[in-house]
Amino acid sequence: MKKRVISMVLAGVMALSLCACGGSAAEAPAPATEAPAAEEEAPAQEETEAEAPAAEEEAPAAEEASSEPITLNMWCIATESDSNRHSYEAAIADMQAAHPEVTLNWEAFENESYKTKIKAAVSADEMPDIFFTWSCAFLGDFVQAGKVYCLDDVYQNYKDELPVVMLGNSTYEGKHYGVPLTMNIVGLFANMDLLKEAGYDEIPGTYEDFIKCCDDLKAKGITPFGCAGKETWCVTEYLESIIEKSIGAEELNNVFVNGATWNNQGIAQAVDTFQEMIKKEYFDPAGIGLTNDEVKANFMAGKYAFYMNGTWNCADFAANEEFKDKVKVAEFPVIDSSKAKLGQLIGGPSDTLAVAASSPNAERAADYAMELGKLICHYGYLDGCGLPAWTPYGDTSSVNPLTQTVSEIVANADSMVLFGDTAMTADDAQVYLSYVDQVYGSAIDGAGFIEGLASDLR
Amino acid sequence: MWKVFDMADKKTIKRKTDFKKGLDIFLFLLPAILLFVGILIAPIAVSLYRSLQKWNGFSPGTFIGFKNYKDLFTSGSINWMTSLKNALIIAFFSVFVQLPFSLLLALLLGRKYKGERFFLTVYFMPVLISTVVIGQLWLKIYNPDYGILNRALAALGLADWQHVWVGDPKTALGSVVVPTIWQYVGYHMLLMYAGVKGVSPDLREAAMLDGATNWQVDRYVVIPVIKPIIRTSVIFAVTGSLKTYDLVRIITNAGPTHKTEVPSTLLEDMLFLRNRYGMGSTISVMLIILCFAFALAITAAFKEKEY
Repeated sequence: MKKRVISMVLAGVMALSLCACGGSAAEAPAPATEAPAAEEEAPAQEETEAEAPAAEEEAPAAEEASSEPITLNMWCIATESDSNRHSYEAAIADMQAAHPEVTLNWEAFENESYKTKIKAAVSADEMPDIFFTWSCAFLGDFVQAGKVYCLDDVYQNYKDELPVVMLGNSTYEGKHYGVPLTMNIVGLFANMDLLKEAGYDEIPGTYEDFIKCCDDLKAKGITPFGCAGKETWCVTEYLESIIEKSIGAEELNNVFVNGATWNNQGIAQAVDTFQEMIKKEYFDPAGIGLTNDEVKANFMAGKYAFYMNGTWNCADFAANEEFKDKVKVAEFPVIDSSKAKLGQLIGGPSDTLAVAASSPNAERAADYAMELGKLICHYGYLDGCGLPAWTPYGDTSSVNPLTQTVSEIVANADSMVLFGDTAMTADDAQVYLSYVDQVYGSAIDGAGFIEGLASDLR
Repeated sequence: MWKVFDMADKKTIKRKTDFKKGLDIFLFLLPAILLFVGILIAPIAVSLYRSLQKWNGFSPGTFIGFKNYKDLFTSGSINWMTSLKNALIIAFFSVFVQLPFSLLLALLLGRKYKGERFFLTVYFMPVLISTVVIGQLWLKIYNPDYGILNRALAALGLADWQHVWVGDPKTALGSVVVPTIWQYVGYHMLLMYAGVKGVSPDLREAAMLDGATNWQVDRYVVIPVIKPIIRTSVIFAVTGSLKTYDLVRIITNAGPTHKTEVPSTLLEDMLFLRNRYGMGSTISVMLIILCFAFALAITAAFKEKEY
């Protein structure tokens, strides 16, 4: 029960702390324990907790209209190796039991290739009825082209379970187009066995201690970090956290979504800080030629002490019997306390389901996507794949300790800045990633980074 | 008068026959023409049209003239010149390393050594294996931790030569060039081997009777005879290099820092990651032009030396 209330509080705090694509600057809401709005929501939530709400019971009129057998197609990125796979399978099994009249054909594709596939499908008007997408600019391009079905009507049936603020990243010109699933932040994962070898029982909380810890790890012959250079988004998990903890969330958010200039000396210094860490050989030099899966496997095998990546990894780490007791998660320490503070995080709800406007059963697909999204969120949260965008229900006591720690971090969050490559338009995001790539490869320094981006992302 | 009627009649009959023949030819060619136009000409025409537009692939495009072509060469965020340079480097190694090696193998196998069929199959095998498999295979070879290359260097006491082969900007392109060349050696070898086998035994015997050695026979008899096949191989090697995509995407993903970017990976990024379908079309048009230009230049270069 306590955990359920915490979950409720978290949902409220997360909602308040989002820096949505709409461009609102990072705000500093009250901490979780002081969040009255969220707590007020809790009783209403408890009513829904008693039983998993089913759309069938809530919408009898819709039931009549939706009794005809139909087939829906869905694309997503929950491949066999994806942390979210189980939550999709469980959710789909539940949906098939609750809606035998709907046959769902679903296919999962690898993350990067999916970006290509879905864009080609949108371009050719060959989209599946329901598709996974990232919110903000990624979905925005499809919405702008009129390819996505508006969920405003169907949302009315779910507004008690899905806080409207969670729709911020998939709302365009006041209309909702996405069903948010789980939300995630960037976490600093640590292999505590390796830290203990260097004389640390906890992840250092200040930047000075953290750097000392890295030096101590190096002295023991342990590589502090692993980062996959072959997938540039992995580099952004490090770089964006360092920039945010150097210049603060508001300034970074202004640059990402509000059109503030990239010509920001604070960003240049943060980039130099990152490169200083590379020069000091805190990073595994082999990482530049590895994929995220390879780096993650190395981290789990004890090759690196730290691994900064999305908190969706909690599920995989917690599921590994050998590794789960070794790993802890924390947020990256503050580098410049005059501008940044703890609780400023990178992340937010980005994983989203959307419905194709061209679907012959768009209305029913929308309803189905809503229910499915709620279930994926539910199982994803239980599995530790992320924090819930939907109000949690049922017994959540089985949530793994890592995800619970993430929940506490988010509960104390001050503000969040969405992942840069998600917040920006597709073209800008690729230019940005290209510069991040050059930073990791030490082809340019901080000054080159800001000058290049200021010039290319006018 | 009779003769006049006769001539006119004959002309009419001939005209009718010619028309029928022409119609028959046209009807027989029609399916091929439709396929050619539908699959080749129409997409090129559409690409050309789209290359003059600013278009994100979803919304209506805006006509911008030749701005995409100008941006291709001037914009700092588009690595066209890097990609072209890399493709030409791959083409250089294909022509001056891969093809001579293929020719050498073809000439050796053409001498009817024992196990000719076996070696032919072995050398051709990489062509039959999926590029994805080959990419993964070479990734394992290059792996900085457990890859056989670094391990072999360490075992030979050359630990200083160890590299993060696909991650180091200095070695990344080389790490793509090697498997690319290795994979298609068998393909070109087979083309040339067919040519070598087609050389008349009489020519060989005549040269041998005149006292020529095996190498002299190859140099002065076989190679001149199979020159058209060598020309075809050069065209395939160069145009294939310009269109290189799969191994680059698998081995380096066009990184690090775009050091292994090639036109096809750039094209894909523009189309599907950056939503710049207009610019993507521009790159595809440039690729078509380059492939045609190189094919014509190579044909002309070989013609000059034919007597």
